[in-house]
Amino acid sequence: MKFRPKPLITSVAGILAAIVLWQLIAVGPAADSPLPPASAVAESLGTVLGTSLFWSDLAATVGIALLGLGTAALAGVVLGILVGSFEPFRYATLAVLEFLKPIPPIVILPLIVLVLGPTGQMSWVLVFFGCVLPIIMQTVDGVHDTDPVARDTARSYGLKEPEILARVVLPSAMPFIGTAMRVAAPAALVITVVAGLLGGGPGLGRSIYQAQAAGDYPTLYALVAVLGVLGLLFQGATRLVEGKLLHWHESFREAAHA
Amino acid sequence: MKTSLPPTRSNSAAPAAPSRKNAMTEEQTPAPAVVAGTAPARLDVSHLAKSYGTGDKAKTIIEDLTFTVAVGEVVCIVGPSGVGKTTLLKCLAGLHPATSGRASIDGRVINGPPPEMALVFQDYNRSLMPWLTVRKNLVLPLRHLHLSAQELKERCDSALAAVGLEHAESQYPWQLSGGMQQRVAIARALAYRPEILIMDEPFASVDAQTRFDLEDLCLKIRRDFNMTILVVTHDIDEAVYLADRVVVLGSKPARVLRIVDIELPTVRDQISTRALPEFARQRTEVLSLIKRPA
Repeated sequence: MKFRPKPLITSVAGILAAIVLWQLIAVGPAADSPLPPASAVAESLGTVLGTSLFWSDLAATVGIALLGLGTAALAGVVLGILVGSFEPFRYATLAVLEFLKPIPPIVILPLIVLVLGPTGQMSWVLVFFGCVLPIIMQTVDGVHDTDPVARDTARSYGLKEPEILARVVLPSAMPFIGTAMRVAAPAALVITVVAGLLGGGPGLGRSIYQAQAAGDYPTLYALVAVLGVLGLLFQGATRLVEGKLLHWHESFREAAHA
Repeated sequence: MKTSLPPTRSNSAAPAAPSRKNAMTEEQTPAPAVVAGTAPARLDVSHLAKSYGTGDKAKTIIEDLTFTVAVGEVVCIVGPSGVGKTTLLKCLAGLHPATSGRASIDGRVINGPPPEMALVFQDYNRSLMPWLTVRKNLVLPLRHLHLSAQELKERCDSALAAVGLEHAESQYPWQLSGGMQQRVAIARALAYRPEILIMDEPFASVDAQTRFDLEDLCLKIRRDFNMTILVVTHDIDEAVYLADRVVVLGSKPARVLRIVDIELPTVRDQISTRALPEFARQRTEVLSLIKRPA
């Protein structure tokens, strides 16, 4: 990849401008509101970063999000390939999947909290539920996108169905799975935080709730800022992994093989 | 609505008129296990028919095909476009079951992909896996053969050398030109060490110069490996240049109009062979069969 300084400078300038704007609004027209100025948030961010609670919260949030995402990816891809490849399987599951798809994870949160309590396990189940369905659906689409000529080629060389699924269908579906993962990765983070915020699961979400309950708005926004950065990192990491795995795909060829 | 089998096979028996003296008509021979003057049949297609759908909606693609391919022979199948040539190849490759009749290799009926056969598709860019390098594309069909690492390497090396692509082994197919990609597809077939090579319009989407090179490559493969080769093409010049025999198909549904013996020297050359009067004569013979209204 080529390094281009100009866009970098522009985007840094954009970030600085946003922070300055925030500071001006918080000090000026919104001085009476609970919105803390950027300077205060920066200050409490410094304090927060010095506590061990913050780092264990961060580890819990990232850990739960990644675990939920990883298990959802594994289950979603396997199920997606089965549903996409075998007609009876598809007809048996499609209605159920389509029914579950529009249900936001937050709706089933109370139920899961009731069963599992305010635990990491609860957060993980919620993340899994929120991520697995779109991954299944995209994988099914990817399976259907497999070129019939590629399949016929594999069949004509005597490859058996499991090998065709693993070596032809799965790679063909990868671009679709990649797209699903790019959407699911930030979602996993959001759901982990929501599980902490509303369900009392461990991590940054719970700390945000506690800061809010204590009226400690600078700390609240410091944690929100950390989440924002974390979201960017998640997004960047998925793009990086996607680019590595899909370097052969049309949409990545130029960047990877220039 | 068509009946798939008319009481008399008048439509296939009718073509009789032009230049019969050099052509061998086989359409009425029921089951030619041995073609006069050639080795025993390797691939035997006997009254093969293929239709899709059932009852009134049935669409007959192939009506009644009978021909043979002998060991080490190059046979080209020509016919008007849309005649069902690709369907025929899919039946021969065991990808589709025949509706009636049969295709067999050494007497064994084909009912699944035969292990001694390799198929080269027209759409090289769809049949090569874009996520695999050239070498890994060659390795893909060999995995389930459980070869030793040394034999695997040896097969890939020699196949790549045969098509002149040793230098491109670590590139991806989409980084190569169309002609090179089709050579990769051919190399993949060679590495599989088939006894029968079937090619579906293999040179249709490459430029003229590349096409000549690939045709000569095909003849070289036959010479070097004594491979039995069946090529489907719509290009009559190509068919006459490549083949020992040309199976001319008529439409629709597909049936054998005539099987033409090509009487050209075994060693062929793009310039001198195509300049032979015999080449022009046989080319005209095949063309007039195809051009004539069915």
